[in-house]
Amino acid sequence: MLELFAIPLVKIVVLIGALMTVTAYLVLLERKMAAWVQDRRGPDRVGVPLTKIRLFGLGQPLADGLKFLFKEEFTPRHVEPLLYTLAPVVTLASALAIYAVIPMGDTLPLKIGASGANLSMVVAPGCDVGLLYIFALSSIAVYGVILGGWASNDKYSFLGGLRTSAQMVAYELPLGLGILGVVLVSGSLDLGKIIHQQADSGLWFAFTQPLGLVVFVVAAFAEAARLPFDLPECEQELVGGYHTEYSGMRLITFLIAEFMHMVTVSFLIVILFFGGWHFWGLTGSGPVESWGQGILRIGVLMAKVFGVILFFMMVRWSWPRFRFDQLMSLAWKVMLPQGLLNLALMAVLCEPFIAERIGSRHWGVFLLISWAVALLAWLVTALVQPSGPENSPQRVEPSI
Amino acid sequence: MNLLLATIQETWATWTTHWHVWTQHVPMLQSRLTWGAILLALGMWLLLPRGGRRGRAAGALLCVAALGVFASRLPFLGDWSHQGVFWLLAGVTVVAGLGTISMRSPVYCALWFSLALLGTGGLFLFSGASFLGIATVIVYAGAIVVTFLFVLMLAQPEGNAYYDRISWEAMASALSGAVLVFLLSVVLADTFNSPRSTLAAQAPAAPALAKGVLAPEHVATLGGQLFSRYLVSVEVIGVLLLVALVGASAIIMLQGRTDARGRAARGAAEEGSPQ
Repeated sequence: MLELFAIPLVKIVVLIGALMTVTAYLVLLERKMAAWVQDRRGPDRVGVPLTKIRLFGLGQPLADGLKFLFKEEFTPRHVEPLLYTLAPVVTLASALAIYAVIPMGDTLPLKIGASGANLSMVVAPGCDVGLLYIFALSSIAVYGVILGGWASNDKYSFLGGLRTSAQMVAYELPLGLGILGVVLVSGSLDLGKIIHQQADSGLWFAFTQPLGLVVFVVAAFAEAARLPFDLPECEQELVGGYHTEYSGMRLITFLIAEFMHMVTVSFLIVILFFGGWHFWGLTGSGPVESWGQGILRIGVLMAKVFGVILFFMMVRWSWPRFRFDQLMSLAWKVMLPQGLLNLALMAVLCEPFIAERIGSRHWGVFLLISWAVALLAWLVTALVQPSGPENSPQRVEPSI
Repeated sequence: MNLLLATIQETWATWTTHWHVWTQHVPMLQSRLTWGAILLALGMWLLLPRGGRRGRAAGALLCVAALGVFASRLPFLGDWSHQGVFWLLAGVTVVAGLGTISMRSPVYCALWFSLALLGTGGLFLFSGASFLGIATVIVYAGAIVVTFLFVLMLAQPEGNAYYDRISWEAMASALSGAVLVFLLSVVLADTFNSPRSTLAAQAPAAPALAKGVLAPEHVATLGGQLFSRYLVSVEVIGVLLLVALVGASAIIMLQGRTDARGRAARGAAEEGSPQ
């Protein structure tokens, strides 16, 4: 009973509480970052309530949350009320449920229950289909978008919903292809095992599969709707998106879920390609033996994830947004062939290298081949430019 | 109070004896499943969208009662936590299935259907077939029903005609559905009651299960099977899907060409015609 209900419940409560708080402060960080890039000050006024202590604006997330909480929860008369309320719930629930299989570290030497195993830092440890579970939930997240757009009963929201779901569906393919190479080499769909694999060999998959890494990162930006791909909510050019008609608590539910997608894909990038909690000469590679080692592994993982999130935030202020046709041709004409090439390359290289027919001292050859192919693929893409900017004035056929 | 209880018990006992005497020539009527099926048929008929709102609440109640009757024949799983999870998933699945057929707006039908698929995926997970459960959610709920939803939402349910929003042949469909449920549950009840029945004999033994579905790496095993023993089937299905894809693209391209030709012809006719 303890192992079945109590431990997962405690883990879930701690995880969701931490995630919500961290998300709030990451929003503050993003605003500070924007201010830094644009040579402004950013939010620095709100500190301890009812005093004049400013505390570098650390009270800002709390104030923002309260503002959203006390705003009028306005329901327009023309909406489909049930689905209008359900859509943000579906979005946030699917965004949170993904964390059931994402490891927050390795294990801690805390023996609870009859099994006598270390306390795992995953809510659902040893889930054999962990990666597929993440895909299943990200496909459920599309429902929230479609429902939000449709239930608003407004053509701009509906078009926004269609745009967003088309983008998410299109980029699920390169996302999967980027992952497939990792799964092929590591031979498992369990995120914990994938990390252990990288820790044992000491070679992160980012070094052995550069092509897969780029495909996955680009697709992850699109899935999380971050800036070069943030057509779901480009306020400037297209009217809002699927959440145009939303306000108050429901709007912030959508926004939190969207922000959380970014945190999720940051975790995935670190776990799949950057060795998870592993760092050379610091964390070791076997099972956890002491408290210090366990906590160090958590710290290393979190530091890496934080780095990736900073990268996401820098990218936001570095590139302009794609047009929708450019976004689609990038997915289908560039990312899909590169992902397929990465998969084929890994399948070919797996046969002699992973089966240890050649031996581990030939990893250099593996690295050389995969980097050569990746550079060649990028060069060919740059020369051919299948998704080059088609900005010349187009002749429009007069419609009859 | 005691007197009242005793009277009720006595009446119940008399009625049940009478009942057994009356129905001893028709043993089917003594089975709980028969009455469950009859209740289900009636409930589904009332629940199906037949036009007016008459009797839909009663239909829902009858359906719930029928489900209770069917559920009372299921064996206990031996552990309350397992039993609770099972009831939850099974209840969600069956109720969502009823919702799928009884809604008037096609969008709601599709949503209930996706909930039923989520429940099915949960039941697969619950019985240890985790890959099957996740695959159900990805393939059906994540891809197919989303496509349905696109079509249904673009088709605008408000513009649909009256005859698109009612169920046709409600009586026949409710009856055939109930008969199907009845036959399946009779077979299942037979399996539960006699341990040496044919189905139980055919079930794989524990070691086979431990090596197959319940193995910690059963996805790898599944992949190995797909690409060794069932390789031909996988290839044939792949070719079939490719043909369908090529066919769809061909239809679109041909349509574009005929449109262009028609436009050109019309343009020529306009130019040629005297103003």
